[in-house]
Amino acid sequence: MKLKYFLFTILAFGNMVMSCKDYLDIPPMNVVQDKDLFSDATGMTVYLSRMYSQMPFEDFKYSPARQFFDDWLVTPGANSGESLGRDAGTAMTSEGYSRNGAYWGRAFNLLRDANRLLETLPEYKANFSDVDYKHFIGEAYFARGMVFYALAKRYGGVPLVTSVLKYPEVPAAQLEIPRATEEETWNQVLADFDLAIANLSATSPKRGYANKYVAYSFKSEAMLFAGSVAKYNKITGFGDKTGVRVIGFDANNAIAASKKYYKEAYNAAREVMKSGKYSLYKKKWSATDKEAQYQNMVDMFFDVSSSENIYIKEYKYPDLTHGYDAYNIPRQLMGGNGYSAGNCPTLDFVEMFDGFAKNADGTIKVFDENGKYLMFDKVTDIFANAEPRLRAYVIFPGDVFKGEVIEIRRGIFTGDASNGISPLRIVNGGNPDYTVSGPSNYNQVDAYKATGAFAGKKSLFLSQNGTTHETVALPGGITMNAGGKSGPFTSDATAAMTGFAVRKWLNPNMPQSLLLEARSEQHFVLMRYAEILLNAAEAASELMLAGEQAPSGDNFQQIAFDAIKDIRERAGAVPLVSANDVSGQAGLELIRKERKKELAFENKTLWDIRRWRTQHSEMLNGYTQADGAYYKGLYPFYSSTTGKYFFDAGLDEGRRRFRLTEQEYYFLIPGGEVSKSPLIDQQPGR
Amino acid sequence: MKKIFYSILICLAAVSFHSCEIDNYDEPQETIKGRVVDAVTGELVLTDQGSEGTRVRLRELSWKETKVPDNFDFFCMKEGIFQNTKVFRGHYNVRIDGAFIPLVRLTSTGDTIADESKYIDIKGVTEVEFKVQPFLKVEWIGTPTVSNGKITATVKVTRAVSPADFKAKIEPMGGYNDNMLNVTDVRLFVSQLPYVGYREWDNRYTTEINYSGNSFDAQLGQPITITTKGVIPAGRTVFIRAAARINYATENIKRHNYNQFIRVDVPN
Repeated sequence: MKLKYFLFTILAFGNMVMSCKDYLDIPPMNVVQDKDLFSDATGMTVYLSRMYSQMPFEDFKYSPARQFFDDWLVTPGANSGESLGRDAGTAMTSEGYSRNGAYWGRAFNLLRDANRLLETLPEYKANFSDVDYKHFIGEAYFARGMVFYALAKRYGGVPLVTSVLKYPEVPAAQLEIPRATEEETWNQVLADFDLAIANLSATSPKRGYANKYVAYSFKSEAMLFAGSVAKYNKITGFGDKTGVRVIGFDANNAIAASKKYYKEAYNAAREVMKSGKYSLYKKKWSATDKEAQYQNMVDMFFDVSSSENIYIKEYKYPDLTHGYDAYNIPRQLMGGNGYSAGNCPTLDFVEMFDGFAKNADGTIKVFDENGKYLMFDKVTDIFANAEPRLRAYVIFPGDVFKGEVIEIRRGIFTGDASNGISPLRIVNGGNPDYTVSGPSNYNQVDAYKATGAFAGKKSLFLSQNGTTHETVALPGGITMNAGGKSGPFTSDATAAMTGFAVRKWLNPNMPQSLLLEARSEQHFVLMRYAEILLNAAEAASELMLAGEQAPSGDNFQQIAFDAIKDIRERAGAVPLVSANDVSGQAGLELIRKERKKELAFENKTLWDIRRWRTQHSEMLNGYTQADGAYYKGLYPFYSSTTGKYFFDAGLDEGRRRFRLTEQEYYFLIPGGEVSKSPLIDQQPGR
Repeated sequence: MKKIFYSILICLAAVSFHSCEIDNYDEPQETIKGRVVDAVTGELVLTDQGSEGTRVRLRELSWKETKVPDNFDFFCMKEGIFQNTKVFRGHYNVRIDGAFIPLVRLTSTGDTIADESKYIDIKGVTEVEFKVQPFLKVEWIGTPTVSNGKITATVKVTRAVSPADFKAKIEPMGGYNDNMLNVTDVRLFVSQLPYVGYREWDNRYTTEINYSGNSFDAQLGQPITITTKGVIPAGRTVFIRAAARINYATENIKRHNYNQFIRVDVPN
């Protein structure tokens, strides 16, 4: 009974309190208010930190399969021909649904933050110095430019959300924005980068912030993309719901648009060059010492103070880390999580470089004039004079990494070698078959199965995986495992499955006990001066082909030639002969090839071959990706009777098939977004 | 204690039934059957079975709950016929896209020039027939022969639509040039399955002949002999099919025209 009275009392007093509106109507104390955030430059760091944490940076937390903000199985290059990865996708047609959802949805979060900054900061202008105020406005435009660029290169035309959408004040149905045309979207990218350039400070006020030249640099990259799409794209169409040309350019306008974008790309790159703030990294470089050239290119990716760095993404254990080392370390140095060799360079990539014997068609020379294998005293001999840049990017069989010889050997050949060794890829006594019909794995060949010419005498020994080896007793009384400590193995791809391991980005000083996921903290170079040179060269070449005149004081051919010459000199490559090397279509091809070499494993090449629209059409070992294509490996073997090494070059044993149809240059819009919206169009024709 | 446990269990059970609501729509039971035939000869237009073949797109116009109906796509069978037995009753737009003159043609600004797609009610078993103008016609000449694991076949490729007619229909869509008529490749697809085509081919044996520019024009109507690559092991049964395409994409895909597949037994 007592309880009842008590409840009535509470109820009565409670009702009285309800009317006391005024002093209860205060903003929630646990939510940071605009007036606190926009108080001064320090308060702004909070706002900008959140924006930067959502930036679409393609760094150590990016993979084509899972897109942004995910550091699992990061293997840059494994989708674009530089390398093959056991866990990587192939041609990247995936929109990244598997773990994070497509970028489509996430992009609009950062757009909102950027638009809010642009709309709110003017109210608090008095709190900032003019320089700071302008810089923060510039940061907002920079973020918006980056987001629209990331969207445009994936989807073509997107909804151009350039103001804060007020929900729930305005009903959701009235806030729907349809996709703009692809051309309007690229123009928005251009406008945002231009406003970023106009407002940002010339140097970053704080480490990690953008600046005017960062914006110029990404502008040049984005405009190169836009110019290439306008020129090379073949697919276009109209949205079902809006009738808007959401992908591709109007044929009547494409050429003019492409010239306009190439000019913007060229001028932006030239601004960075003329600023004199950046240069190619040459701290340890020496014109006469290949070893110094090699070491210089290894070090440049670890030197935070490098004069080549225009923009880097820094990591720091334990706050912000990644797992590049754990996933990509050569097998024999594998860390505690059991990952290794996620990024195995292809022979196709290696063959682009200089410094080893080649056949007339540019492929590596492994056979002598009689069709027998070339024999090498040491496994390292074949690449002893390879271009220093290539050595800085790739670990060859027998190379030293972290003080250890990286042992890459596919198997041991015990057969007679007195008359030379015939090609291994032979089945049932037939002819050597290095086509896709030939044996895919060395455990199918005659020498291994003791058939054909090897009937009754097994002459090839292989290792099943890292722990199950066939062994060969060598003349000196030593027993040797067939496969090397780092593979390749018959049925375990956590090894150097192409015969190479990656060196780029791998921290040479990391103790093996720390080779774990989420333990690496080296920075990623998002933008470096070499790319600016390559952007200028490519844009200049395209503009020359289009018959355009250079801005006064510039000579397109000279700019392009100097850019490529400087990059090749620093790389230790064979020098160009004359400025004519960069003229015409052949010159453009040369510039593109240099770009593929220099920027390999930096998440750039995939976008390059996509914007050139060559990903589906370039001939790779007899096939195009439109039909399904394969890359090659180079497999080292030890000949036990001679104590020498030989190499077998051929299609990747795993026969990883890369396939891409032309319409996949544009990612699908997530189906749910299309279904629920009365305005958002799916890609035409799909 | 046990009581509490059971009562929690009962609560959970009750909650779990929450979603078991009977669906507010009956299972779709209508059937659409269709044929894609050459407008001139009345023959079925053979196709690949997959995204590079003839695509059927249904859009339910009687569906009013969303402003624009979702696309409901499926693909023709290799014979050039299609069937879907799980369609909701309603009014539909049915369009097909394949290696033939597009039925829906738009200008470069998106205006409709022609719309030969069908607007039909689907109820019971509804049959439709599309008369189209295929780009090419591919025919066998004689019977393929086998020797040493290689199949040699002779085919003939002719235009099923005249260049003048093609130009008249395609030019108003914008961006036309005569190179669109060029035959770019002729292929002899090989597969272990009768569903042989661009999405199902064995690249160890399949042969592709590419032609640059209009170099194929002289061979139109002429016998072309193609031999498979590699060596098909003795005793194997394979299916072969020839295909050719022109340098013109419908719905952004350059699609092949096909002939009838043939079973070939490689003798022991």
